[in-house]
Amino acid sequence: MAEPRYYDIRCVRGEVTHIDIDNGVVESAGISYFDRTVVRALGRRGWGILTLDRADVDSSGRIGELVDAAMHLAAITGDRVDLAPAPHGILPPPPLREDPRDVDLEEKTRLLGEIEAAARLPGVANTRARYTESIDTVRFLDSSGNEGSYEIVRSGFSVLAVAVRNGVMQMGSERDHAITGFNLRGRQDLGRKAGETAVALLDAKLAKGGAIAAVLDPELAGVFAHEAVGHASEGDHVREGASVLKGKIGERIGAEGLAIVDDPSLPEFGFDPMDAEGVAVQRTEIIRDGVLRAFLHNRETLASVGDGVAGHARSEHGAPPLVRMSNTFIENGDATFDEILAECGDGVMLIGSRGGQVDPGRGVFQFNARYGYLIEGGERTQMVRDVSLSGEILSTLHRIALIGNDRRMHPGFCGKGGQSVPVSDGAPHILLENATVGGRGT
Amino acid sequence: MNGGDLIDRILWEGLRHAEEVEVFFGEGRSVSAEIKHSVIGNAEESRSWCLSIRTIDRGRIGASSTSDPRKWRSCLDAALASGRVANAQEWGGLPKPVDIVSTAPSADPDLIVGADGASTLVGQLLEGAAEHPARVVGGSAELARTDLTIANSSGVRYGMDRTVVSVTLEAIHGQSTGYEFAASPFLTDIDARSVGEQAARLAVHSAGGRDVASGRYDVILSPIAAAQLIGYVLVPALSGRNVKAGRSFLAGRLGEQVLDQDLSIYDDPAARGLGSASWDAEGVPTRRLDFVERGVLRCFAYDLKTAYRYHEESTASAVRSGAEGGVAIGVHNLVVDGRRTAVLGDERAIWVHDVVGAHTANPLSGDFSVELSNPFWMEGGELQEPIRTAMLAGNVFDMLADIGGLGDDTRIVGRVILPSIRFNKQQIIGK
Repeated sequence: MAEPRYYDIRCVRGEVTHIDIDNGVVESAGISYFDRTVVRALGRRGWGILTLDRADVDSSGRIGELVDAAMHLAAITGDRVDLAPAPHGILPPPPLREDPRDVDLEEKTRLLGEIEAAARLPGVANTRARYTESIDTVRFLDSSGNEGSYEIVRSGFSVLAVAVRNGVMQMGSERDHAITGFNLRGRQDLGRKAGETAVALLDAKLAKGGAIAAVLDPELAGVFAHEAVGHASEGDHVREGASVLKGKIGERIGAEGLAIVDDPSLPEFGFDPMDAEGVAVQRTEIIRDGVLRAFLHNRETLASVGDGVAGHARSEHGAPPLVRMSNTFIENGDATFDEILAECGDGVMLIGSRGGQVDPGRGVFQFNARYGYLIEGGERTQMVRDVSLSGEILSTLHRIALIGNDRRMHPGFCGKGGQSVPVSDGAPHILLENATVGGRGT
Repeated sequence: MNGGDLIDRILWEGLRHAEEVEVFFGEGRSVSAEIKHSVIGNAEESRSWCLSIRTIDRGRIGASSTSDPRKWRSCLDAALASGRVANAQEWGGLPKPVDIVSTAPSADPDLIVGADGASTLVGQLLEGAAEHPARVVGGSAELARTDLTIANSSGVRYGMDRTVVSVTLEAIHGQSTGYEFAASPFLTDIDARSVGEQAARLAVHSAGGRDVASGRYDVILSPIAAAQLIGYVLVPALSGRNVKAGRSFLAGRLGEQVLDQDLSIYDDPAARGLGSASWDAEGVPTRRLDFVERGVLRCFAYDLKTAYRYHEESTASAVRSGAEGGVAIGVHNLVVDGRRTAVLGDERAIWVHDVVGAHTANPLSGDFSVELSNPFWMEGGELQEPIRTAMLAGNVFDMLADIGGLGDDTRIVGRVILPSIRFNKQQIIGK
């Protein structure tokens, strides 16, 4: 068997706590355990990757066996992969304000129940709240002698309220996830907000589709940055030719003053102490002043594509690393919220996110707001529901007319290649001219 | 300790602390080859091992899982601790063993999970794609086999093999993309060459599309597009748990005409599909479940827990979901069926291959607006000129209550088996 040009091993073990309360009943609450390992070996051409449960990597003999098995797989590959050199290093995770492990399951369940109960307002027919907490212990080693390990604690909750009246059913939902410690105390405000939104939506109009001016709130504008720019800037899409941003470095692709950044070193929900290849994480400015400056990379795509830094490789437990976003955001501009509303005139304001999706090769994205408001004469008026936004990456970014000064970050999860990883997205309020808004109202 | 001994040990140990114990055990292996730059870029093998334990004591259900056999005792302790936190509910016991006569087609006995098989499939994908001048930007072939065992303290011990063969190909031509896939338990069902050819054809033929003006148009959703909207909206509405919790649009409507009378929807665990199973995730023998017969709502899906709580009967609709391997209500092979039309696209309509953003639909009301992928004008049953880009806005329940016909094409899309569906006078938002 040929010797590997390089190999690395990443073990993630830990536990997941979950609680599910549905209409006041504790449906399930408990802890599960996982222990997964990914071994990658670089053969003469491409990667052989072995993923397995409960691997023992403490003896060099065992490591040799695993690497041999990965090399056996690598033998069928034909695409030559090279790895760019990259700095190694590890950041300490932010300190925990309160360690969730110090709170017992009964107390977590009680606190979650309080948030769920707060959503049960008059008109609300169903409430549900869920808590998830994961304690990951990560260990990385590679054939170049790099080693690192860390522990990261992520916890958070979501709360859903369903309101029903005369056959009309609407929902409100809120969530918060953190890497800074236990976050269930005193959060009934979010439960109440979910309930209030659900009830208010019963009287909301269906949004009317068409090309209009749209104000995006910081949460949805963050999803916009993630879907419309983030995915298309991922080095693997660029390397394979599946991104409309390929070959556009140095070109103006968005409005003046627009800056979009991905920063895994930021202590937000998408924080990574080091990336999944053991590389030190750092900030990447994808767009600066409307001009495309860099792509997001792992070592492989950096060597192949260039323009950017490695350190953006991430993976779900037990899955091979992919180029991923972490904390992605639009930098603050200088417009106030009132200026944005006034400039919008007549249009729609979109609030919160129900998710989004992009086809980076075609450069088309779609995402949905949780709800919105009409804007008439620069004033926020009637509530609207089921309103979405779609567009083309290369034209939409030019239509950003104003960028606010009130950036906020929102935690969430991002899916790619069947893997889900924690991320955060953020932005200030932004104004999009001539946006394609979807809705079935007339 | 081998799997069988471990199961006996857990059942025995668990019964010292709880009235009932259930063990779900899965051991699997998969091999995949991923396409990069039109050749195999990565080859991956995955070996997985998962143990899920449930304990029931005085109506309190506890659960835990682990991927480390050495942790089985912690896993059992965690399940018991979890049961102490859960609310007690009415409970009529785990199922007792029965002679399961049906053998659902869940596994291909001849499938060899290995790199050579994956490599051959990739070759066929690329050969098909080469028929059109599109560039391949991604794709994969995967072969997988999993052994599943369920055992409980009432004497149930069933085993099942599950295999999956899946291929995908992604092509681009200019700024026009095409994506196709196929998946089945059986290797002989997979025509990888055709998948590659279709993806490349879509990319090439979609190039140079014209805009469409906003308005009402007849629309034909391919099985891929229709399955997404059905999966995100209709499937959750059929869950007995959502119905009883007041989260289903279909609650309280049993016996009513809720969908088009030309539409029947049923779960067929014995069908040849990705969810074929002789028993469900709780060891209840599966059977065909007619949710909607000629448009009339007949039943909802239940697992044991929801059934006992609301005095219904389990419909053997329990599935394992998520990393924690917990039990949830789901479907095995949801079949969408009804009177077929030989040429669905005879009269001019917009044909849609796929949609972007189906998961952002409102699962309660069924309202959605999605971006279209590879839309074409269709007439005389043939694809005509491509449309550049457009959105479709509508309501899944309203649309399924008034369909314009079902095509005579049937394919497996995840856990849904369905044909193309025509919907007349739908709202299109152009650019």
